[in-house]
Amino acid sequence: MSRTAWAACLALVAGVQGQVADSKPVGAAAEPRRAYSVLVCAESSDEVYKLRFDGAQVAVEKVIPVGYQATEIEGPHGITVAPDGKHWFLSMAHGKPFGLLYRFRSSDDRVTGRVQLGLFPATMQISRATGLLYCVNFDLHGDMTPSSVSIVDPVEMAEVGRTRTGSMPHGSRLSPDGKRHYSCSMMDGFLHEIDAVSFERTRRLPLGDGTGAAKSAHGGGDGADDRCRPTWVQPHPRLTRAYVCLNGIAQLAEVDLAGWKVTRRWPTGKGPYNVDVTPRGDKAVVTYKGAQAVGIWDLTRGKELARVPTTRPVPHGVAVSDDGRFAFVSCESIGAQPGTVDVLDLRVGHRVASVAVGLQAGGIAFVGSRPLR
Amino acid sequence: MTPTRIAVGALLLLSALPAQSTGTEDLVLRVKPSELNLTLGATETLRTEVVDVGGRPAKGEVLFFSLDRRGVSVDKSGKVTALRTGSFRVIARLVGAANGSRVVIPVRVVHAKPAAIVLRSAPQRVFADTIVELDAAIIGEDGRTRPDLTVDFRSSDPKIVEIDDLRRIVARSAGTCAIIASGSGLEQRHQLVVVANPVRTLTVTPNVKQARTGDVVHFAVATADSAGKRIDDVPVQLAVQAKPTDHRGPGASGQIEPDGRFVAETPGVYTVIAACGKLAASATVRITPRNVQQQLVKVGHGEVFHVHTSDLWVWEGVDGRDYAVTGTWGADGEAYFWDVTDPRRIERIATVKVDARTVNDVKVSKDGRICVISREGASNRKNGIIVLDVSNPRSPKMLSKFTDNLTGGVHNLFIDSGFVYALSAGRRYDVIDIHDPSAPVRVSNFELKSPGHAIHDVWIANGIAFSSNWRDGIQLVDVGNGIRGGSPQKPVQFASYAYPSGWNHAAFPFRSATTKRFYVIAGDEAFPYGLSIENRPTYPRGWFHFIDFTDLDKPREVARYEVPEAGTHNLWVEGDVLYAAYYNAGVRVVDISGELLGDLYRQGREIAWFLPTHHKAKVPNAPMTWGPQPHKGRIFFSDWNSGLWCVELAPQRGRRR
Repeated sequence: MSRTAWAACLALVAGVQGQVADSKPVGAAAEPRRAYSVLVCAESSDEVYKLRFDGAQVAVEKVIPVGYQATEIEGPHGITVAPDGKHWFLSMAHGKPFGLLYRFRSSDDRVTGRVQLGLFPATMQISRATGLLYCVNFDLHGDMTPSSVSIVDPVEMAEVGRTRTGSMPHGSRLSPDGKRHYSCSMMDGFLHEIDAVSFERTRRLPLGDGTGAAKSAHGGGDGADDRCRPTWVQPHPRLTRAYVCLNGIAQLAEVDLAGWKVTRRWPTGKGPYNVDVTPRGDKAVVTYKGAQAVGIWDLTRGKELARVPTTRPVPHGVAVSDDGRFAFVSCESIGAQPGTVDVLDLRVGHRVASVAVGLQAGGIAFVGSRPLR
Repeated sequence: MTPTRIAVGALLLLSALPAQSTGTEDLVLRVKPSELNLTLGATETLRTEVVDVGGRPAKGEVLFFSLDRRGVSVDKSGKVTALRTGSFRVIARLVGAANGSRVVIPVRVVHAKPAAIVLRSAPQRVFADTIVELDAAIIGEDGRTRPDLTVDFRSSDPKIVEIDDLRRIVARSAGTCAIIASGSGLEQRHQLVVVANPVRTLTVTPNVKQARTGDVVHFAVATADSAGKRIDDVPVQLAVQAKPTDHRGPGASGQIEPDGRFVAETPGVYTVIAACGKLAASATVRITPRNVQQQLVKVGHGEVFHVHTSDLWVWEGVDGRDYAVTGTWGADGEAYFWDVTDPRRIERIATVKVDARTVNDVKVSKDGRICVISREGASNRKNGIIVLDVSNPRSPKMLSKFTDNLTGGVHNLFIDSGFVYALSAGRRYDVIDIHDPSAPVRVSNFELKSPGHAIHDVWIANGIAFSSNWRDGIQLVDVGNGIRGGSPQKPVQFASYAYPSGWNHAAFPFRSATTKRFYVIAGDEAFPYGLSIENRPTYPRGWFHFIDFTDLDKPREVARYEVPEAGTHNLWVEGDVLYAAYYNAGVRVVDISGELLGDLYRQGREIAWFLPTHHKAKVPNAPMTWGPQPHKGRIFFSDWNSGLWCVELAPQRGRRR
């Protein structure tokens, strides 16, 4: 498709130009270099970019056009990779009117299944415990009424359950054992927990710090907060904790999942949006949507180690590599300016590479890594 | 349905354990029965057993779910309920391992046993030498219709009534007999009286002797008995015999409706034959060429080659000069303003740039002072509309943004009497008061209730909103007309029409100047072969549907305008002329005067066409016409690949089509 060719040329130019001006080279690596693979959505050009990073350079390997409505922007938003790596999944925000979930075969990036979900299906993850995929129906637009989490059998691509949560649920993530699902509802300020096996919502936690309205205008009920705007939750890989971006009040909140309470709050850059945690659980990387920057956090000390400017405005998603060394950050940008993916070296706290992708780069997923020969 | 688990063993506490250390990889799940056969509405519970590799019982947690929740449900105990007939699957899965044991249980749901035959359409009395249709169904023990079973018919006396191969009553002679409906071991008898056909006189008379292609001729049928008394309830069949003037390989060239309306596509001589019992009558009319063809010639072109162009609006400014505004698609959020006072020299005079990727729609108020543009793809995802002061189109001034509840993107909008009707996320339209254009206020909205409803466009005329709603078709809503007491603050839906393709993308109402009938033209949009953004042309499909809404309670789709191998987009009607943006078939001008019936394209109603092409266009030499608008005797239109154009009608030169 022609868009693909355009994007490939763009990527080629960006790749040839190499690193952006203030990118810093990676220090001498003691361990063998690895090649990393990442998928990122271009939400306003209906494309998915497959990127390859070799520790120094990041380049576009492939551009995959997605969607079925020719003249409409359907908005690929959420993206995740199956635990066995054989498929990847893509949520498309806009349908007529419901969005779709697509399954792609990793070997050739061809569509092998699709299923209709709710309004604006967004972030998602597959549970190791149930084998099912949990995708929030973000329902970004219109009246802020409680929305839901769609539960999908990724083998048959059938929606097998739908659990109601709060207004504008986002940040769909599972506990390490895959038995509990967490999401935030942006417009009423709750963290929701769903039993991944029974599909029942078990708990919800108000996330406001007391500065927001006591009652939400969006029907959230007691404890609702219309100011804190939680946009993402990321459970800790080893501990019974989760980290939540409170976009509206510029905080990163630590939640004790056993005690079901907020234990710590840390001020961040403006508009924290997505967060990912390293596999060891020592660091978190937070995108600051309103500050054109990314924060790297020491989770033990609760300290921001570095704040790294992004190459383009509106940083969006973040995915940490399986070795915890790098973070891949998508930047949406504005208008016709293509988005980018910036690569941060978490050991040195610098951006080390960047590549231009399609319009409004958003959802991002780490695919895997392998040693470079 | 509530999913589901059986807590066979203790739940693992959320802990520091690595995800893969669940210990269930080697367990096997067994489910009995291995398949289910259920009657509709019945239930049965699945039993599970978890064993280890040695076949010894083990603890494990089982999750049940249905792959078709509308067909069968399953609860956490494994109880399956049949909700619909058909073949479905329930899954039982061992919880805990990424590749945990998974069992598929096929579930076949069948109807209840047949219980009765019901005759849904069977007359008590028919006339001899006429044909009447029959309809019957088998009902199950649960009272539901069995659509999978058929009913056969036979006559107790074939000399009086025969049943033909199409399961119709063919009444042969006067008398009484029984129609026997049978099937699935059931039988139902229906007494039928055949009375003698009283008709002794049959005539068929056209309202004109000569007409043009596309003109609707009305053939009146009259039947009377031997005393000359008129009889109205005896069925009469009509057929047409065609002798086209051009007889070299002619196709079907005329059609006759059961109510006597006739239209011809090609010139020639047409005989309509009426038959009633053993009587027949005929009448003949001559059809001449419509001869409306002219040509469209280019007047001017406002070139836009670097981005795709979307909609347009042309208006007379407050200074008396003529202006146009065009949007851009998949680009940098720009709208372009043009001076088109001299359309031979279209001049781009201003650019408004907003935070968006697509400015799909642009509209200007009747007084020429306010322009509203739509936004999609805004970086903050708030989208909405932008209100501009265009009193001086050379220097448009932004008066306000309105994004509340319009964050999903506004694809189309309309301005009417101080209100903006703006689509919201393709779900509904919001009505926004812009009497104070610097402080818009939403006053109401209109949204359908049907499952999965969507909307694409809205157009206001005479206080009625005509929206295009894909598979929900055209919706007519009183927003100030008064026909149902509606207002902008209280929209009231009062009529609708949908068609099977679900392609309804645009709508334009008009009252025929010649017949006073009230039509709404519904335009399709379809891309069965995809959309090419760059380098290659696109091949859309679709046509314009003419819906006769004269009787609001019984709208009828009476005609179509379909250019072969091309696809429709936006449209405009002025007088009895349709101006059609026909994507890859350029702009088309069509005579829609008089009563409408059948295929208008084939009837020679097309007046003219123009294919906008340019070798430097966004897609070179590929017409992709977006929207037309007649203005002061000329036709302006936007083309997705090449910008703003102006053409005008001129006498045809050269060979006629």
